[in-house]
Amino acid sequence: MKGKNFLYSQKVAPYVFVLPFILSFAFFWVYPLITAFTMSFQDIGAIKTDWVGFANYTKLLKDKVFMIAVANSTKYMFFTLVLLIPFPMLFAVLMDSNIVKAKGVWKAVLYMPALTSVVISGTLFRLMFSEYKTGQMNLITQAFGLGTYKWLKNGWSGMLALLVLACWRWTGVNMLYFISGLKSIDSSLYEAADIDGASPVQKFLYVTLPLLKPTTIYVLTISVYAGLSMFLESYMLWAGNSSPNNIGLTIVGYLYKRGIEKNDMGYACAVGVVLLIVALIINFAQLILNGTFKKEED
Amino acid sequence: MKKKLISSIMSVAMAASLLAGCGSASGTPESTGSSDGGNTEATESGEAAAEETPNSTFGDANGTHLEMWTFVELHGQHYQDMAEIWNEQNPDRTIEITCTTYPYGDMHTKLLTSLEAGTGAPDICDVEVGQFPNVVAGLDQWLVPLDDYAKDYMPTMVPARMQTYQGEDGHYYGAPYHVGAAAMYYNVAAMSEAMGLSQEDVIAKIDGVKTWSDYETLGKEYLTALGDDSKHFTSVDTGGTDWLWLAMAEYGDDWTGGFDNPANCKLESVSKMLKMQQGWLKDGFAEISPDGHVDCEAGFQNIMDRNIVSFPKALWYMSRFTNYMPEEKGNWYIAKCPVFEDGQKCSVGIGGTGTVVTQQSQNKELAAEFLCWAKMSDEGEQHIWDKLGFDVCNTAMWTKDSIAHDDNNQYNAFFINYPYDVLNDIGMDNIGKISVVKISPTINEYVCTTTLNQVLEDPDYSVDDSLQELQDAVDMEQ
Amino acid sequence: MEKNKQRDLSHTPSHIVATVLGTGFFLILSAIICFPVFAGLLASFRPGTELIRRGLALDLDVSTMTLDNYIYLFGGNQDSKKYFMWYKNSLIITFLSVLLTLLICYFVAYGLTMYKFKLQNFLFTLVLATMMVPFEILMLPMYKEIIAFGLIDTYTGVIITGLCSASTIFFFRQYMMGLPKDLLSAARIDGANEYYISVAIIMPLVKPAFASMGILCAMGSWNAILWPLLVLKGAEKFTLPIGLNTLLTPYGNNYDVLIAGSMFGILPIFIIFLIFQKYIIDGMTAGAVKG
Repeated sequence: MKGKNFLYSQKVAPYVFVLPFILSFAFFWVYPLITAFTMSFQDIGAIKTDWVGFANYTKLLKDKVFMIAVANSTKYMFFTLVLLIPFPMLFAVLMDSNIVKAKGVWKAVLYMPALTSVVISGTLFRLMFSEYKTGQMNLITQAFGLGTYKWLKNGWSGMLALLVLACWRWTGVNMLYFISGLKSIDSSLYEAADIDGASPVQKFLYVTLPLLKPTTIYVLTISVYAGLSMFLESYMLWAGNSSPNNIGLTIVGYLYKRGIEKNDMGYACAVGVVLLIVALIINFAQLILNGTFKKEED
Repeated sequence: MKKKLISSIMSVAMAASLLAGCGSASGTPESTGSSDGGNTEATESGEAAAEETPNSTFGDANGTHLEMWTFVELHGQHYQDMAEIWNEQNPDRTIEITCTTYPYGDMHTKLLTSLEAGTGAPDICDVEVGQFPNVVAGLDQWLVPLDDYAKDYMPTMVPARMQTYQGEDGHYYGAPYHVGAAAMYYNVAAMSEAMGLSQEDVIAKIDGVKTWSDYETLGKEYLTALGDDSKHFTSVDTGGTDWLWLAMAEYGDDWTGGFDNPANCKLESVSKMLKMQQGWLKDGFAEISPDGHVDCEAGFQNIMDRNIVSFPKALWYMSRFTNYMPEEKGNWYIAKCPVFEDGQKCSVGIGGTGTVVTQQSQNKELAAEFLCWAKMSDEGEQHIWDKLGFDVCNTAMWTKDSIAHDDNNQYNAFFINYPYDVLNDIGMDNIGKISVVKISPTINEYVCTTTLNQVLEDPDYSVDDSLQELQDAVDMEQ
Repeated sequence: MEKNKQRDLSHTPSHIVATVLGTGFFLILSAIICFPVFAGLLASFRPGTELIRRGLALDLDVSTMTLDNYIYLFGGNQDSKKYFMWYKNSLIITFLSVLLTLLICYFVAYGLTMYKFKLQNFLFTLVLATMMVPFEILMLPMYKEIIAFGLIDTYTGVIITGLCSASTIFFFRQYMMGLPKDLLSAARIDGANEYYISVAIIMPLVKPAFASMGILCAMGSWNAILWPLLVLKGAEKFTLPIGLNTLLTPYGNNYDVLIAGSMFGILPIFIIFLIFQKYIIDGMTAGAVKG
């Protein structure tokens, strides 16, 4: 009986709730990560493994290809933040208003791309961005009399293709996050604003935007990580991990290249540790600025 | 409200089991029932599913069991068919073989992971040549040397192909499927139409091509007769190294340096080829292959649209014609590749898959013996050509009529000439070899992502500068 | 009150114009979004060689279109049997992992949000940290663990590592931050215990979050490749993405089955989405929060 009371106390209950996380964290994160961290100081061969100290890291600093990968991933992350937060938010507000009919249909359609496996959508986009004259993008440019263009061979257009694919896949998902967030806003606030004679823009700026903050922070945080760790999209768009002049190479792509394709796990782990540190810095800076760690929301 | 949630979950469950049922309705007997229970039940239903599996296990159920992984389903079928024949010939040592087809990239990851973990690897496994250095790095701690099992077949096997799958210790660890001999494909139908010649005359002209300058003369004759600036004689690759491999083989070079020497990419042969291609691009003789190489969707379209009428590619490219370009039947002729100087080798083995036996196998000897037999013996080679359409490595087979001149074979029927006649014409000693070692992926990747794009997308770019850049990048890794 | 106002507004001409514009906007957006899927769908009705010959041609030329790919897919031959076996495996794995992930993540988030305790911020930081490590470097050690636990080649092994999904916990937390804390104190005064409150009082309020996370988890699980592939060994346990990927090889692609199979593979998740969607639209019942 005493044990039962103990488990039921308000002091202990939170620990019971988070217990599954702690277990999973220990087994499927801490242990593998420590192993990976150790491996980043090793030269791992098939037959023997040597300790090499910081050699992997110093090599990484001089590695031009790695720098390209970092630049690509950062650029991609930046543009996805610019494209995939404001627009889905506006779409969600629009969708939540009373001026849109047949909402269910649009939501379903916008969400559909996320359900398509990257294997097939990447293949479809690769064919659409083909430099040959039957690719859809080239059919468009040809219709304007511009001739064909090598979309997947130039830096800006390669990034464009990646962003088009990203927007195609994630606009609907992010919109749903925001719709879900909008649902939690108390409608009496809007009524009060109406009584005060607020315009729709004012209502958006002073009611919707502040109250969507938890959702926005969520979308921002996962987008930062998703942007930095993008890989599959690029892999499918260029039908493999090699793109002309590495215009599609990302950090995780480079990790994959090193760890999986060249089986140099030590170096790959160093890449992973750097990615972890970069992502942690960006995200924690962002979260601290947004006040996510404050204990109580007012 | 709670009711609603439960009902929603129920409806999902129903939808799920409905769909699962729909799957079983079309052929597989439903044996699992609705398995929406807990974790353990899922495992059980997984096992239950095994019973209704389309059969992937072949051979004698009482024989020794062998497990094999591949990433091409047809390869697996080859072993299954061979297992049946093996059991007939060796009633005292029968085998049962299970072949599992995994996705290409992931199979190699899975194999390496299980080799490193020391458990979970199959008895026999296909390894793509590009991935081979990673696997062979484990030498005889991971893999079984095949030397003893292959020795009866060795005298007639194309040596270059056996050496491709050698380890650093000199042992042979992989059994090849094919030579992958590079040859030149010509669209005779298109050429004869444009040049106003009979097909025989065009073929005579093609047979007269010995050197690259002959090749240029023929191409220019065709382009002049055609008089269409949007067409080209051939296309050069920014996403593949075939042309460069061919050039190296002709001069007997190897940029990897093999196991003993450091890689050296600043080779005269490579530079010659690239400079020649730059010239071609400038005068419209060649174009850049759409999407980087000819072995992709845009490449097939480009060929069918007759934007190019000739290109060098390994003999396994024949299957691309039969699979994706059936309308081209009867148009194409295969010939030896041109050389820079008389007397050079005129071909090189490109691509390939080596099959290995792992040390984790419980029946290494049997697995290795079966593998070498299935891939190098007369029965095996005949089957490889009939079913897989590869140019087989055992040269004793090249002159056999059942292989070389069988008109029922789809490849023999598709092309104007017999592919094996071309092989015999080339000869096993004229097929060069570029090593695939640890540094290979680095070179290959840098060439395909950077070097080729530099010098071919901008034909005025200095080849020497570009090769120096390549060498610097490679030096960082060795 | 609000209902009445809307009804009044809906007859004004400016509102009708706005409705046409608003709906038209989503119509156009949907058309753009649909385009690649539509192209894929068209391709699935053509022989694979047609895709090679003409790319993703968008003309509705009925003469080149056939049901052959689908007839083959449903034909009960070896390929068809395999395809539906993958399909069924994927459904089982997806269903179990979504159900368990949602429940576990909900309770973890509940613990992190609804109480004030010492390690709260620290634990939340750890949750965020787990999101930021690429799976590829954890893969090898994790594979060894799964072998050690004897979970290799089981669905449990596939599912277990993803049960505590950081992004799901994070989403639930963000969602629950918006709930008034006085609900808890009120329930405690009524004598309800901590666990009863979490299930009977708070969980129904978080339903929309369950819905959005449900479809996302389903999607992730439905499309996952690398980890299931490492854990599962036999072809009879493969999931749909693994199976479809075996059709893409360096020796040529089997477009006939690949495209038709992928298109048909969108279906179940889409159905699940349509079911869950209703709950998103319903949203939270206003009474509970305000009450």
